[in-house]
Amino acid sequence: MNPFLLMIWKEFRHIRADKFSIRLMIFPVFAQLLIMGYALTTEVKNIDIAVVDECVTPESRSLIETIRGNPLFRFHRAAATAAEARRRIDRGELRAAIVLPPDFSRSLASPSGATVQLLIDGQDANSANVSRGYLNAIVAGWALQSQERSLTARGGRIASLVPVTVTPVILFNPLLESTWYMVPGLVVILVTMITSLLSGLSIVKEKETGTLEQLMVTPVEPHHLIVGKTVPYFLIGIAELCAFLVPAILWFHIPFRGNFFEFLLFGMVYMFSSLGIGILTSTVARTPQQVLFLIWFILIFFILLSGFFIPVENMPPWVQQVSRINPVRYFMFAVREMFLKGSGVAELWPELLGMAVIGGTVFGAAVLLFHRRAK
Amino acid sequence: MIRRLFAIAAKELRHIMRDWQTLLVIFLMPVVMMFLYGYALTMDLTGVPLIIEDPIPSPESVRIAHAIDASTMFHVVGTVAAAPDPVELFRKYHMKAIVRFTPHFAADLRRGGEGAEVQVLIDGCDPNVGTILKNAFGPVIQKATLDALGIVAPAAVTVDEKVLYNQEQRSALFFVPGLMAIILLMISALLTSLAITREKELGTIEQLLVSPLRPREIIVGKILPYLALAAADGALILCVGYVLFGVRIAGSIPFLAGASLVYIFTSLAIGLLVSTVARTQQQAMMMVLPATMLPTIILSGFIFPLASLPWPLRCLSAAVPATYYLEIIRGIVLKGVGITVLWRPLCILGAIGILLVLVSVKQFRERL
Repeated sequence: MNPFLLMIWKEFRHIRADKFSIRLMIFPVFAQLLIMGYALTTEVKNIDIAVVDECVTPESRSLIETIRGNPLFRFHRAAATAAEARRRIDRGELRAAIVLPPDFSRSLASPSGATVQLLIDGQDANSANVSRGYLNAIVAGWALQSQERSLTARGGRIASLVPVTVTPVILFNPLLESTWYMVPGLVVILVTMITSLLSGLSIVKEKETGTLEQLMVTPVEPHHLIVGKTVPYFLIGIAELCAFLVPAILWFHIPFRGNFFEFLLFGMVYMFSSLGIGILTSTVARTPQQVLFLIWFILIFFILLSGFFIPVENMPPWVQQVSRINPVRYFMFAVREMFLKGSGVAELWPELLGMAVIGGTVFGAAVLLFHRRAK
Repeated sequence: MIRRLFAIAAKELRHIMRDWQTLLVIFLMPVVMMFLYGYALTMDLTGVPLIIEDPIPSPESVRIAHAIDASTMFHVVGTVAAAPDPVELFRKYHMKAIVRFTPHFAADLRRGGEGAEVQVLIDGCDPNVGTILKNAFGPVIQKATLDALGIVAPAAVTVDEKVLYNQEQRSALFFVPGLMAIILLMISALLTSLAITREKELGTIEQLLVSPLRPREIIVGKILPYLALAAADGALILCVGYVLFGVRIAGSIPFLAGASLVYIFTSLAIGLLVSTVARTQQQAMMMVLPATMLPTIILSGFIFPLASLPWPLRCLSAAVPATYYLEIIRGIVLKGVGITVLWRPLCILGAIGILLVLVSVKQFRERL
């Protein structure tokens, strides 16, 4: 029998015998997709807020009602003083508080305008930024309406203050659903984790039990061994990639606008990088623990710099340059573009090329190193 | 008893020292992650590429286009007379927005009334970016139009913002305490459970059990070096955070140390419980990773705000020890509050730890 097929067959029997790993490949991974699909969101909502109304006039009440009408906030009972509001923010009960000073209504009509104080919990810079933006927009909108009322009372026309209407049209993800963006990204991360970990662990396990040396003294060549170790995990990776499409489309209702075969092509090219990481790690590591730690370390690095939850364009230029060697970045970008925009090879060929170069280098280096160690 | 305890601890320490690859990862990873988060990861949008479609340029529309380009958030790549296939611009040239003027924009504007309209097409793939863009265009264009028409808008309501705790809005301040929760858990739960299952796998635990050592001496002795390791790594994170990112601890350091010990105790209890159930190192790893590491990263409020989670996940997050530890450590480091505010999460954290130890001691007796 062909030694390649023999080694592949051997590896499949290993995988089949290891019920634990099979279960690991199926249940936790899908559970993670479901849980993380909902949990990984940088959206900011349910902001705990309270008002301090030191003015108590129809105007102050009208502003409070406007804020209350916004579904992004979770209203708590009003605080009597700004100091009380501050204490409740300290305790973590509130994220923000709005203080309407006693002279709020009076100064509304004055030329300098009124001032509203906003206390905001700044621990999480992103959430603080977003909630600040929301509150500013709401207050500005309310102020415009109140000016409109006073202008029309004096016979003016509001159009002079709002000369132009800006109509935003959101494309590709019209409801701005967080899951539409995060789930395709998660698919990439889960597939990377499974394939690199499993291939790395399977080689190190043979090292630890000493069976790798036994294989080396048989007529089996190192490249037979590498092929035997990679082909099964290559197939498993592709199968998982396809399997993930089912919950993504049927459960999360994410449109898949691209071409399925092009998606497969990208996946296959990507597998070389992801399996390469596993094999490369296993040539350095001696125990499963080391494989786990090294892969975890590499993947955290790659995931943070992949644009998974923080766009690469936001990063400083030198970090963007570093992220060019990151295969996860290319695949993540390509999968999202294929899902939501329906892009294909015609638009995404630079990413495909990047993945092919990195995959070829990593996989080639892994095979070479393995050969050297095996000799 | 103390002497035997130290003998076991010394033996375990030698195991740890011999495995330099793991040690390197443990001490290097937090530092690298701090660098990434401190410098690389900001949510501030700058230089968003966009195209302006202006069929008949007028002084007003040109002025608005300039104002858009002048703001740090946007970068106008070019102005075209017509964009017949906008989707292609998004797909192929990776534009994030297209600002479209109508041919009769200037005429509408000069006529007054409500006729003038600007349409903005926005790439909504990333909902976070989409929301920010959606809210940002209105004020910029409104203001530029008022300026172009020479209208001075009367002052309305000024919002006087006071950002508490993290005035400069640096993400490192938020992230460094979170990193403590992850690294301490990794060392305490993952490494401890691996150390015990390794002895099980190799059969050496049986040799230890038939020696004059008592089971609890073996366990405590094995755990002690990891406690020290966790404490050292925690101190390293805080020092690097202070030196490189200026993360000052606003509250009391002894209280922080005490609360961290409670958290380490709870994490060690998780590791102990796993090692009584798992038979091999691989099983231990596979139990610890999905059961503790991932929830700690995702469901504790480490990066993703807890308030945005759907309620079933919020319930789950209440069972994650790191949720309480994060509340405590952020309270101490950022807010500078003490036990009077933080007694509740501290009690819950301690209670989870005691519960886990009781369960694992029972398991341990039954198994060995």
